[in-house]
Amino acid sequence: MSIKHHRPLLSVENFSFGYDPDKEPLLKDLTLTIHQQETILFIGPSGSGKSSFSLCLNGLYPEAVEGWTKGEMIYNGRSLSHFEKGEINKEIGVVFQDPESQFCMVTVENELAFTLENIKTPREEMAEKIDAILSAVGLAEEKHRPIHELSGGNKQKVALASVLLLNPKLLILDEPTANLDPASRFEFIQLIHSLKQERDFALFIIEHQLDDWLPMVDRVIAMNRHGNILLEGKPEDVFYNQVEKLKKEGIHLPRIVETVLEAHEGKVLETNRPLSEGDLVPWINSNDHLMNPITREIQACDLWANEKSEVLSIKNVSFSRGKKSILKEMNLSLYSGELVAIVGRNGAGKSTLLQLISGILSPKTGSRLLLNKKYEAWSEHDMRKVMGYVFQNPEHQFITDTVYDEIAFGMKLNGVSQDKIKQNVNQLLERFHLTSHKWSNPFALSGGQKRRLSVATMLEDTPSVLLFDEPTFGQDAQTTKELMQMIQTLQRQGTAIVFVTHDMDLVDTYCEKVYVVNGGEVSFNGKPDELWQKPEILHEAKLRLPFRVRINQLLENLHQNKKKQGVVRAHANIH
Amino acid sequence: MLTSINPTMKAFAVLIPALLLAFTFDPLTPFIYLVFTVAVTFFFSKVAFKRWILIFSPFLLLAVSFAWMTMLHPSDAFSGGDVLISVWSFQVTTESFWGGISLGLRSLSFAALSLLFILTTDSTKFMLSLMQQCKLPPKLTFGILAGYRFLPTFRYELQVLRQAHRIRGVGRAKGVKERLHQFRRYAIPLLANAIRKAERVALAMESKGFTGETDRTHYHEMTIDKRDWIFVSVFFVMFFVSVFLSYQLGFLNIFGKDF
Repeated sequence: MSIKHHRPLLSVENFSFGYDPDKEPLLKDLTLTIHQQETILFIGPSGSGKSSFSLCLNGLYPEAVEGWTKGEMIYNGRSLSHFEKGEINKEIGVVFQDPESQFCMVTVENELAFTLENIKTPREEMAEKIDAILSAVGLAEEKHRPIHELSGGNKQKVALASVLLLNPKLLILDEPTANLDPASRFEFIQLIHSLKQERDFALFIIEHQLDDWLPMVDRVIAMNRHGNILLEGKPEDVFYNQVEKLKKEGIHLPRIVETVLEAHEGKVLETNRPLSEGDLVPWINSNDHLMNPITREIQACDLWANEKSEVLSIKNVSFSRGKKSILKEMNLSLYSGELVAIVGRNGAGKSTLLQLISGILSPKTGSRLLLNKKYEAWSEHDMRKVMGYVFQNPEHQFITDTVYDEIAFGMKLNGVSQDKIKQNVNQLLERFHLTSHKWSNPFALSGGQKRRLSVATMLEDTPSVLLFDEPTFGQDAQTTKELMQMIQTLQRQGTAIVFVTHDMDLVDTYCEKVYVVNGGEVSFNGKPDELWQKPEILHEAKLRLPFRVRINQLLENLHQNKKKQGVVRAHANIH
Repeated sequence: MLTSINPTMKAFAVLIPALLLAFTFDPLTPFIYLVFTVAVTFFFSKVAFKRWILIFSPFLLLAVSFAWMTMLHPSDAFSGGDVLISVWSFQVTTESFWGGISLGLRSLSFAALSLLFILTTDSTKFMLSLMQQCKLPPKLTFGILAGYRFLPTFRYELQVLRQAHRIRGVGRAKGVKERLHQFRRYAIPLLANAIRKAERVALAMESKGFTGETDRTHYHEMTIDKRDWIFVSVFFVMFFVSVFLSYQLGFLNIFGKDF
């Protein structure tokens, strides 16, 4: 394309950024350019400073955090430091990750008006602009609704709309879909895709889950964990030629690329490197001999099939808050060594169900059994020993001041002897790769470490049941894999595991059973493979088929079409 | 309608008479004003009586206990007059009785005035009006509005925290020392999260071009028109009417002085 010949929209030269001048900088010596209307995918392991960089790009850092910078950022030929406060924000807009903390007004309308007021839009023009942007993002109906009543997906659309009102030349998306259910996530990406074609902004996308974005990406920039640029280039080149480097940094590879590479053992023709599901399918088809259809990488482990015993059962459990019914007539049973997923749209009642299973909430009606004993008959202390629960935010569970004490806490409560505690804690520290952080404050750990610690605290004994609320949320490829391995080890030891998740690929790969919660009821329970055959249920619950199944279905369609065409051709030959 | 009155003006209309009422120590003036306030509430707004009485009743209880306390422990200014009843070693005299009633009625007037304001005012509009009419800095205005959105999240988070600690086997705290310790355990993650969230919102606001400067346009132009002035005047005039009425009927007592 010819865009490269124009002056870049934004160029970053030898840029470094750090919080503390005495410590190593977070971002080191970055040099890159963003051209007009270009789409850049910015990837890197968690904690590599991607979000900080995006905030530097729109001029909020280093001022907001009293950090320091070195080097230059030049927007349209003018240094970023020469812009008046608030001026650069009209040119470069950001949509952030957390849908809960991006707004300052109560209703959608007022939030959008807030942006317009900031840029001093005359009052007479506001109403028209608000209506126009709302219909552009498909929220015209929600204009007068309070934002907190909207679904996560719609909240992010409001955030997008309010940024688009600024008419930015560069739009930064900082993991905007990380908190969304699969269908809303896909919808949001499609929306960005179509808006990008209507309005000419450049896109700078920070993401962990890459597949759905890939078809629109012009260039990929990858960071390493030390805050340097690892590589940069066209997506085909980066993902097909630099796999080793990316893997070493724990960066998620796109599923499409993984599939192709696996079939080809790393050697792929320069001319045919698919980056979208649409391209992958004919590719597989033409490489029929290599693989067809895609199979699961890791089989869900089903070693305990013979000696399974029921550890937990819930019968006809209903729950309501005030007059509002949250769950109706829930039934669920759990066997030892089983890995069960609970899925459903945002706000369907998944977490509530998990809380009922854990016994921290009590149902209005219905009965619950844990190890063949009624919940009510268990003492709190004993129940916690046999059942662990890892919260979505690990910080909520930290009680003490050091990692060591954190793991020892439960054992001390149970009156284990000093020596035994020491031995057990050290073993757990080793197993969860936390030994070097033994005396750190739990709050000072990185995201992945916090998650590992919160799991470790639940394992003083091997629990019979372990519950997880979105265990892989916000983790990079490496930590996700490690966590799932740990979960599988526990599973082999006979622990029954339940987790709430939005990640259908995880369900497809690891789970034997899945419960779909929709509108306070279980709309499906059974094997994941059976669920993938039920499009109505998936659609209702805002779920999406996992990658493997999507591709296989596309393949099947292709074959059928070919057959049909063949038939037509044969027909034509007769006549 | 009360909801369409400019919120700042409404606040003045409610606040000034409430302050002035604090000096009327006779029972009739606050009573007249109370009746007036309640009447305005129901004639000029759509506040449901059931909802109003639900919020008002705790104040009723409070007012009665205020009155009762004043009757039993009157200040010197109210201890004269004949003994009405005597309870154990306490004596309630006529003056202390009416003093108590007056205090009770005054507190009810305050409550009724506050409810009139709270139940008919949109908090966003009130803040916007304070910014536009009283020159409250936009930084403060939008800061408060953003913080207001956080309150429910805060409560939710405390609840999650309690549950999470329960899972870890931390029981209910007993004794002062343990409670203090537990407070510290809750405070750190709560504050850490609150700060993080506040930071995020601030960044989001700034990235939408908010600078805090006062020069900005307004989507909801909060204006003061004739109707608002009339509204305020009625509330002021009504105060003097009630003072005049109780003067005519010989009840008036301002700051302990009879007229």
